[in-house]
Amino acid sequence: MTALDLSTEPGDASRARLAALADVLIPGGSGLPSAGDADVAGQWINRALTANPDLASAVAHALASPGAPEEALRDLRLRQRDVFERFAFAVAGAYFMNPAVRAALGYPGIAPRRLPAAEGEAEYYLEDEILAPVVDRGHIYRRVPA
Amino acid sequence: MPGLPGGLLRGGLPLREGREAAGKWVGVGSTNDHADVLIVGAGTSAGVAARHLAEAGFKVVCLEQGAWVDPGNLPGNKPEYELAGSKNWHPDPNVRGRREDYPVDHSESDLPVWMYNGVGGSSVLYGGIWARALPSDFRVRTLDGVADDWPLTYEELLPYYQAVEREMAVSGLAGNPAYPPGFEPPQPAAPIHRTGRTMAEGMNRLGWHWWPGTNAIPTVNRGKEGQCVRYGICRMGCPEGAKSSTDVTHLPDAVTLGAKVITRARVARVTLDERGRANGAVYLRDGREHFQSASVVIMAAGGIGSPRLLLMSASGRFPAGLANSSGLVGKRLMLHPYAASVGIYEDDLENWLGPAGEHIGSMQFYESDPSRGFVRGAKWSLLPIAGPLEAAEKWTDPRSLSGEEFWGQGSAARMKSFVRMLQWHVVPEDLPEETNFVSLHPSLTDSDGLPAAKVHYRVSDNTRQIVDFNLARTLEAHEAAGAKKAWVAGRNFMTGHNTGTAKMGDDPATSVVDRFGRTHDVPNLYIIDASVFTTSTAVNPTATICALAKRTASYIASNAREQEVAA
Ligand SMILES: Cc1cc2nc3c(=O)[nH]c(=O)nc-3n(C[C@H](O)[C@H](O)[C@H](O)COP(=O)(O)OP(=O)(O)OC[C@H]3O[C@@H](n4cnc5c(N)ncnc54)[C@H](O)[C@@H]3O)c2cc1C
Ligand code: SF4
Repeated sequence: MTALDLSTEPGDASRARLAALADVLIPGGSGLPSAGDADVAGQWINRALTANPDLASAVAHALASPGAPEEALRDLRLRQRDVFERFAFAVAGAYFMNPAVRAALGYPGIAPRRLPAAEGEAEYYLEDEILAPVVDRGHIYRRVPA
Repeated sequence: MPGLPGGLLRGGLPLREGREAAGKWVGVGSTNDHADVLIVGAGTSAGVAARHLAEAGFKVVCLEQGAWVDPGNLPGNKPEYELAGSKNWHPDPNVRGRREDYPVDHSESDLPVWMYNGVGGSSVLYGGIWARALPSDFRVRTLDGVADDWPLTYEELLPYYQAVEREMAVSGLAGNPAYPPGFEPPQPAAPIHRTGRTMAEGMNRLGWHWWPGTNAIPTVNRGKEGQCVRYGICRMGCPEGAKSSTDVTHLPDAVTLGAKVITRARVARVTLDERGRANGAVYLRDGREHFQSASVVIMAAGGIGSPRLLLMSASGRFPAGLANSSGLVGKRLMLHPYAASVGIYEDDLENWLGPAGEHIGSMQFYESDPSRGFVRGAKWSLLPIAGPLEAAEKWTDPRSLSGEEFWGQGSAARMKSFVRMLQWHVVPEDLPEETNFVSLHPSLTDSDGLPAAKVHYRVSDNTRQIVDFNLARTLEAHEAAGAKKAWVAGRNFMTGHNTGTAKMGDDPATSVVDRFGRTHDVPNLYIIDASVFTTSTAVNPTATICALAKRTASYIASNAREQEVAA
């Protein structure tokens, strides 16, 4: 099995197949798009495979698996669990990079961003003497003979 | 706070004097390139020692197989961050597969090993969780009748813990009752966030210990080193330069003071003079062989790298490997096979907020309790979850016991629970066994043709029992904290806590280095990295690694006049 060559864009047929396979994993709902609607098979898979080229062989392998999408993935999982997992990881990695998906999941920004702690934030979370019972129980370490 | 004996903090000797003492080491005919002290590696322990010795006036040279990290290349603030963290910035050197990453064959190990090979060493990718060992950790044989006592005590190491805590700008809250009085992190604690608060309420319901996280991650701006801005991706390197890794905290200062860090320099063997004293190292750079001469040699190549290099440095005098008359070089490998549990809660917990780092920790089940059927214990850390891919893995990892299919119908609802997830990591103590060891690979090599390392490691029954017991308790903690669903997300995760392969002890027949890190066999060869741990403790090791490195560096500086060196 050869790795996907990212210098030659996968053709429309491959992308359609990838979208169909990805939709089996991530059909969407609850305010989230399906993988296909989130353009996993377009720009996001390219970016995912650029960031981790080791995943390309698993994507190529999944694309080459025959049969209806559900069946193809069921078979792949049964026969080559490791390849299935890497394929699913690549699809999920591509999907989560889509800013609309990330926002719908509740993550701020398109990537982790600077959010310095506010003044008094550390104290705020310790309010109502939440540490008092721990302190009141006293030391818990084991004494060591001199 | 007790000071270091004799003002050792700045090298033991006044600045010039240290160098003058070392000046006497240098034999006739030595060149300008000769080092007073050669350090193999420029990682975590190396950084601490290099700065200390450079401050004391010694001419220090570090030979490091990797390069300096360019913060602009770190992935943490880019959309691809989690994918880059699964390849170029993965903590497993075999996955990264960079030129400087020597392969580690783990086909005969229950878990792979983690490390980073470059300036700053594994501290570049560590979580920054800072945990001193406890007094009982140094007395395992006395208290529990297993393994060995360390040849030093908590009290002896205390001033060095305190010194490196200042150097690493450790943040946390004073007064943790799991420690003897006097543990006062120099920087204020980070917020425990909704994550820590939610779990703390559960722990209080159970009457169990917890404490705000202690991390080598500054909460107050230190000028050039910055302040944590909570990206939450510390384990992929800190793009802010805030996390205290030694490429930020120590090595730039050491260089300013005159230390030389030679990068892309892979040490092939440490050499000896006719009298058996270390006199330098042969290294490979750009495919060519070089020699660095030195009066004192310090090994700081990590818990896998140092035994590998000692074994590669076998000679007529030391046929089984340098400094290996005990036969223990590479043996007693301890790895802390991590386990994790997660819970799904009602509310958005903003579980992606840094530092990562621990938000809270617990030592409730740290100390031995024979009624549990095993000895020793574990530390727990409540950690943020860097992003959706990491959260998804809590469901999809083959070792996960979520009991639900993640993909397909319903996956959207499961994804929507990502930010409502809390995770406990369990760090179990791993006791030393000679059957767990590092050897040289018979055929596999690194990019310079040197033998790769091979790890032979099986999780012992005692360790497995510690993990089982503690995982069960973490599930109770999730329940008490209000989780709607909780499960074991995995076990036998790799850790990067690679310890024990050059044991510290008083008896040359049963240990490799003495209480100051000096090898019993070679009077001017020291080891300062994680290899020297007598037992693994159940805490994250970097506090102890740094304290021991500081202690050895102080010892070398203050005993320079008596130090035997190569002719
Ligand atoms: C992902 C991750 C998370 C972690 N999180 C924590 C945490 O939160 N808290 C904690 O306490 N610990 C943590 N650890 C563990 C901690 O980072 C390590 O235990 C510690 O950094 C090891 O320090 P060291 O000096 O022993 O080795 P290192 O820092 O690994 O340094 C060894 C150096 O030697 C170099 N080297 C090796 N061989 C050669 C050679 N032949 N020639 C030249 N150079 C060589 C390497 O390139 C490397 O730079 C973590 C580790 C990892 C990987
Ligand atoms: S959470 Fe803080 S220390 Fe960690 S990567 Fe972000 S800024 Fe750096």
